[in-house]
Amino acid sequence: MDTFLNILVAGLLLGGIYSLVSIGLNLVFGVLRVVNFAHGAVVMVALYVTYFFYAVFGLDPYIAVVLVVPIMFVFGMGIYWFILRPLQDEPMMQTFATFGLLIVLQNTVLAITRGEPHSMNTELSRLVFSIGPLNVSAVRALSLVVATIIAGGLAAALRYTLTGKAIRGLIQDRPVGVLMGINVRQMYTLCVGMSAALAGVAAALLAPIYSLSPGLGDDFILPAFAVVVLGGLGSTMGAYFGGLLVGIIEALAGFYIDPTLKQAIWFLVFIAVLILRPSGLMGRLGAEEVGLRGNA
Amino acid sequence: MFAKRLLMASVLALSVLGSTAIHAQDKLKIGIINPFSGSLALYGDQLARGYEIAAEEQNAHGGVLGKQIELIRGDAGTPQQAIAAVQRLQDAGVSAFIGTYISAVSNAASDAAAQYDKIYWDTNALAQDLTDRGLPNFIRSGPSAGLFGEVATKAVVELVAPALAKSPKQIRVWIEHEDSIYGTSIADRERQLLTQAGVQVVGVGSHAARAIDLTDSVLRAKGATPDVWLSTSYQPDGTLLLRTMRDQGFKPPAIVMIGAGDSPDALQALGADGLSGLLIVTYPAAEQNQAYGPGGHEFLETYRKKYGRDPLVPHPLTAYVGAKMLFETIAAAGGTGPAAVRAAAAKLNHPVGTYANGFGAKFDANFQNTLALPTVVQWQSGKLLTVYPVQASLPGTKITDLPRK
Repeated sequence: MDTFLNILVAGLLLGGIYSLVSIGLNLVFGVLRVVNFAHGAVVMVALYVTYFFYAVFGLDPYIAVVLVVPIMFVFGMGIYWFILRPLQDEPMMQTFATFGLLIVLQNTVLAITRGEPHSMNTELSRLVFSIGPLNVSAVRALSLVVATIIAGGLAAALRYTLTGKAIRGLIQDRPVGVLMGINVRQMYTLCVGMSAALAGVAAALLAPIYSLSPGLGDDFILPAFAVVVLGGLGSTMGAYFGGLLVGIIEALAGFYIDPTLKQAIWFLVFIAVLILRPSGLMGRLGAEEVGLRGNA
Repeated sequence: MFAKRLLMASVLALSVLGSTAIHAQDKLKIGIINPFSGSLALYGDQLARGYEIAAEEQNAHGGVLGKQIELIRGDAGTPQQAIAAVQRLQDAGVSAFIGTYISAVSNAASDAAAQYDKIYWDTNALAQDLTDRGLPNFIRSGPSAGLFGEVATKAVVELVAPALAKSPKQIRVWIEHEDSIYGTSIADRERQLLTQAGVQVVGVGSHAARAIDLTDSVLRAKGATPDVWLSTSYQPDGTLLLRTMRDQGFKPPAIVMIGAGDSPDALQALGADGLSGLLIVTYPAAEQNQAYGPGGHEFLETYRKKYGRDPLVPHPLTAYVGAKMLFETIAAAGGTGPAAVRAAAAKLNHPVGTYANGFGAKFDANFQNTLALPTVVQWQSGKLLTVYPVQASLPGTKITDLPRK
């Protein structure tokens, strides 16, 4: 039982990481209807920005986050204005463009760093809470807590604020939203900026866990896509709970069946959910067809 | 008048073309197969630096067969890219190929090189199958998975067991490995040799090198309560495993790693205390005893002068030695044809301690260098010290901090 609890907690904490990375991806997916292949690379860039403040100014990643988030917000707005906006009438081309951006970002960081891995070793990264048989890493627990706050906060903001309602209006019916006076470009800029800013938050939280390398973002992007589709296209809370579900399945399958098979196993669950409920666990029925009427 | 100018222009053009042809004949072009872009580029670049230093040294001494060596890089991080890179380098007129540290890339690139009847000289890829498959153009100057497995077994039996005051039969080992052919072939060899030595292999676990989380792998090993946790991985998953072990309170008395744990990044991630006592089976380091690896220090100085810093990992020295061995073999063969180069390689017979990393040269029937022996290093007070073989250790170096605190 102790072992089961330990692996369950490990899965939950892993799920927090998946949720953290997936929520920003889902925002762009839901609002712009663009499959952003570059999202993992944006997380990677944010990790290197965090490392820059750590290495040059000695800033702890959790302090650097107040600088990284606005930088990434501006970076995200730049992605929209210079890459996605010019292609707004070519949705398929937008997706290809994000793939191009992934390659550009990855190889630019590679050229600057020569691929040399870096790690951040902070006091908090070594902190582990032992509760009976359970060992809980402080940084992973913090990732779960922050993912929970972000998912809840974002869902509430989309539901109750005027800007959130405007975004939801665009998600549900863009032409009608435009007729109602919603500034589409402004909302899209905001969403892509927020998505990159959330990547900045994720980076600060993941920085003490992983070795930085230009390809690190690639490792997150496949699970993140699965989480977004599993949870429900365009649904913030869907991305959150989808992340937790994938994390728990992965940990249990890795421990009780075989670590090599764990990804295959949660992809089997992924396929099964899509067959039984194509809109995902928390997506609205039909969202998979017209794209993303999330219940945010 | 026009005819005269045309004639002069033609003569000039022919003379330029002729000089280019002569110039090209003065070069011996060798294609480097390695990843130079993407997530695996770091090691590709590190290996290429070893080749470059070897080529510059050789060129300063007149080159090979009276020709200056020109190295041309071919970017390959996957088997598909490897085939394309070989094609491109073939079009560029290379006479031989040298590479790489990714076994799957080495496999595909050497197959493609065989189609052009070009020698493929491998310096750093480990998979056992590379030599076992009997490809007619393949030679490996560096160690194989089998040799790594043998040295890892010796580390457990000859270093760890005495330090833990146990006999080999009392030692319990968990073998952890990443799940590609690289990790699997080393783990298979380790299990075979450890079992033969009477050591108890209490479990074997595998994981994907690019896994986001390895808590499951660590908890499986922890549950088996081994004396020795013996791991083969790449650097990122190796570091993640060590971090997860720390977080999960998994503290086996001895940790022996292959492929990870010896980088500056590992020191950044875990600190000197977190790594203290860790043993790593690895390519020989330039800082080892110069009586064992004559020229290692000179290589290090040249590297620092050329690139402005120390190598990030020990791999470039093995790449450098591999390239030197290739040039020596081509010179002995009198050409670059696979049959001639293989015949010359078969005649090499240099004892251990001949080259700058301590390697000797003696190829078996599959053209695996049997005297390319990995070494064992240990983290002691934030520094990596060679502890095995004894001849490679600096005077006064001893195993410490076993069992690990």
